[in-house]
Amino acid sequence: MAVEIEHATEHHPAHAPPPPRRGLRRLTGAGWLRVLWVMPLSFGLATLLVIGARAAMGFDPLWELQVLIVAWTVVVPLGFLAALGGFDYWAYWISGKPTRPEDHSGHGARTWKDYFRVNTDHKVIGIQYLVTTIFFFGAAGLMAMFMRAELARPGMQYVDTNTFNGLFSVHASLMIFLFIIPAFAGLGNYVIPLMLGAPDMAFPRLNALSFWLLPIAGLIMMSSYLVPDGGAFAAGWTNYVPLAVQQPDGNLMFQMGVQWAGASSIMTALNFLVTIITMRAPGMSFWRMPLLVWANFATSTLVVLATPFVAGSQFFIMFDRVLHTNFFNPEMGGDVIAYQHIFWFYSHPAVYIMMLPGFGIASEVISVFARKPIFGYRLMALSLMAILILGFSVWAHHMFVSGMQSWIRIPMMVTTLVIAVPTGIKVFSWLATLWEGRIRFATPMLFALGFVTMFVIGGLSGIYLGSVPVDIHASDTYFVVAHIHYVLFGGSLFTIFAGIYYWFPKMTGRMYDERLGKIHFWLTFVGFNVTFFPMHWVGLQGMPRRVADYAPEFGNWNLVISIASFGLGASTLVFLYNMIVSWRAGAPAGPNPWRALTLEWQVSSPPPIFNFHEIPQVVGSPYEYGVRGARHAVLNGDRAAVEEREKVEA
Amino acid sequence: MRKRSIIQMTLVGVVVGLALAAVAFFIPWLPDAASEQADIIDSVYWVVTVICVAIFALVAGVAVYAVWKFRAAPDDMDDGSPIHGHTGLEIVWTLVPTVLVTFIAVYSGVALAQAEDLPDDHRVVEVTGEQFAWTFTYPDVELENGEPLASGELVLPVGEPVEFLITSKDVIHSFWVPEWRMKQDAVRGVTTRTVVEPSKVGTFEVICTELCGLGHAVMRSRARVLSAGDFSAWVEEQRRLAAEGGSVQGEALFSAQCASCHVLEEAGSQGQVGPNLDESLEGAEEDFVRESIVEPNATIAEGFQPDVMPQNYGELFTDEQIDGLVEYLLEATGGGGR
Repeated sequence: MAVEIEHATEHHPAHAPPPPRRGLRRLTGAGWLRVLWVMPLSFGLATLLVIGARAAMGFDPLWELQVLIVAWTVVVPLGFLAALGGFDYWAYWISGKPTRPEDHSGHGARTWKDYFRVNTDHKVIGIQYLVTTIFFFGAAGLMAMFMRAELARPGMQYVDTNTFNGLFSVHASLMIFLFIIPAFAGLGNYVIPLMLGAPDMAFPRLNALSFWLLPIAGLIMMSSYLVPDGGAFAAGWTNYVPLAVQQPDGNLMFQMGVQWAGASSIMTALNFLVTIITMRAPGMSFWRMPLLVWANFATSTLVVLATPFVAGSQFFIMFDRVLHTNFFNPEMGGDVIAYQHIFWFYSHPAVYIMMLPGFGIASEVISVFARKPIFGYRLMALSLMAILILGFSVWAHHMFVSGMQSWIRIPMMVTTLVIAVPTGIKVFSWLATLWEGRIRFATPMLFALGFVTMFVIGGLSGIYLGSVPVDIHASDTYFVVAHIHYVLFGGSLFTIFAGIYYWFPKMTGRMYDERLGKIHFWLTFVGFNVTFFPMHWVGLQGMPRRVADYAPEFGNWNLVISIASFGLGASTLVFLYNMIVSWRAGAPAGPNPWRALTLEWQVSSPPPIFNFHEIPQVVGSPYEYGVRGARHAVLNGDRAAVEEREKVEA
Repeated sequence: MRKRSIIQMTLVGVVVGLALAAVAFFIPWLPDAASEQADIIDSVYWVVTVICVAIFALVAGVAVYAVWKFRAAPDDMDDGSPIHGHTGLEIVWTLVPTVLVTFIAVYSGVALAQAEDLPDDHRVVEVTGEQFAWTFTYPDVELENGEPLASGELVLPVGEPVEFLITSKDVIHSFWVPEWRMKQDAVRGVTTRTVVEPSKVGTFEVICTELCGLGHAVMRSRARVLSAGDFSAWVEEQRRLAAEGGSVQGEALFSAQCASCHVLEEAGSQGQVGPNLDESLEGAEEDFVRESIVEPNATIAEGFQPDVMPQNYGELFTDEQIDGLVEYLLEATGGGGR
């Protein structure tokens, strides 16, 4: 039986959507009708621009796919964004047109259609992010299934090596740039303004735009399969030169896709930073912020400082390919290893970009479900900042066998190992938070506990790889594949699941099915370990990574790994079924099913359109479970305070 | 009360630790150690393993104990104890890991210096990677034609330290023999180096571990470690074959360059990467054999991919060598009207 979930507030009449356009004017208003004709137009424009310029310069041939791909992947997405209405407000403002009344017609969702518009409501954007990223998670997961099918037996069975190289390259790129990073951005988008007691993000229009860059990035990367002569980019997500320069044209789709994903990341991170710094409710000092907010503060700083480096590294490859520059061409004074330095200067911090928000989610969930204050709150926050700073000093540990100058290896090893200290502080503090708690094993808590244990395994295998002598043996083998999946699957993905289950009632107003949630957890937990743990062994024994074919002695373990990975893939179906069915017809959840103290749980589920009827007054720590009379915030002004006083007096 | 819980928790930790130790020590995690460097690296591996097993036992012990001991009954709506922190404990779990990682760093640094230590009296072997083959050149072994000895398989005497000078002709490759533990990327435009002192006689695989294109998975070669006497004999044999020319030289070239990828009954080779030459060259003409060597993409046998076999044998080998190889293959497969 479906129960209607009521939104707590209707739109104010002044915020009503504009009257629908009629006739031909419907084609010029922001929206999908305008997209329908602007996209082919911008496609044609980009093509003409390239061919015209080449004709004017006397280049031959006129139809040069590499150059066209660059033009298309810049111009068509811009046309799409403009047509959808991503720039409308700024265009009006810049062109000096009579300022439109500052309405909120693009804010909030009344019907499902509002999720397909440029929407400025952070709650809508958060859900847009999550649904989109889960789509790409499914696509990238399917690619992993194809890979495991090929790897089940030694020799070549289903795909050729070019397809296989494409599969793992696109799998990793989508998982990193279109799933883990933006899924955390989506959860943060939904939760952070609520946790801070803010009505929205600091820059709602920028927020809307940053979401719409994502599907662009994902579609560019996926459509690389359609590029003639060679198909998808197949040099790994690391895209090392000179292989990347030598690759067929599909490789450009990685270089250009990353730009859009990176731009989206940077915009969101700036938005988070300004929101966290300037939009905290009265009384919300930094030392009263929930740890998820701290985590996103650290993450956003990393994103803003590091992401330009990956953008640069891919632009340089694009220039080498299209403009025939020689950044990475040793015959013309370029430097092959320089690419790896630039790339990892982003991509190591990216590991923390993919992990710190998960730390934040784990802190929220463990505290609430153990019914205890988080242990060592200040050290927890400070260790996030320590990881942020140290995270910039370890990049070359990915390059211990690369042939860079050998002295760098020792300092990089030391900093790498030292990062274990703040990370260890966090793990020990989570364990101490469980101590003398009243632990409830709802699905979010199961995933959070699964995260703590699995992430420790990933962290410890990181110690092996951090030690230069062991890394010389283990680098570029399946040991590394096992390590990154313990960190990014056992770490990031487990916390993403924890976060989705935890805030699902807040986002939808409905409960997910607890039994299915638990089935999902146990299938994932067992499937994950049987899939990835044996990879440590095959790697140390001598199986390199990124191979479609391998020595026959690894056949049996690879078969076990493949079978387990299919189970792991199937467990995702339980999750999707649970989410879809519960979203449509789950039991109403009420405002605070977890009896949590943070601010997002003090408003209705889903929250009112501007989150709070009155800005809350924060009066204490967000984790005061078991402390009599302690409060995190006073909502609805005097009324709550009066009630409180009456209670005490009674 | 407090004492009892600590004892219980320690028990859980010890059980987990013992189980882990059994997994860590009774399963052979590392391949045979066949170089001095392998012994050094393995000692670091074991130091790290002991520390990691202890840490994971601690974490798992506390987690399992807490989950079991502090679980709430379904109708229990109470909160836990309002413990906010414990400065002493926090200092301990900051300092102890700091000491442990410092120890690992120092131990690793010393081990690295030992592994890469190179006595003045050592052999040099130049390693060249290309899509998708390795060439090993011995600059101190000069052939009759003035060229240094070059081979597609790596042959070394046991117990003699070797400095590998490594480079690449195209993309990045990585030179690795798992039993030696040492690995080093081959980078175009750069000469990188690594040191290995083989300590066991035997045959090992040379594996490329850096993604280098379509044939990455099959970019493998052989490393044979011989006794000093056998090695000298091998060098002399190479000298003799190079001097002799014709199909004798072709046979040597085949076993060095082709055998790891192709089946050929005459040579006793078992490589599965490329087509079986007994079948695909059966009754073939001389021109076809030559073309298949210098321009392998011209004809691709059914079930195989283009671009996997190196494209540059025409430049890599002298005309004389190719003539010899063609002659040898025609003899071996009964082609060319023989």
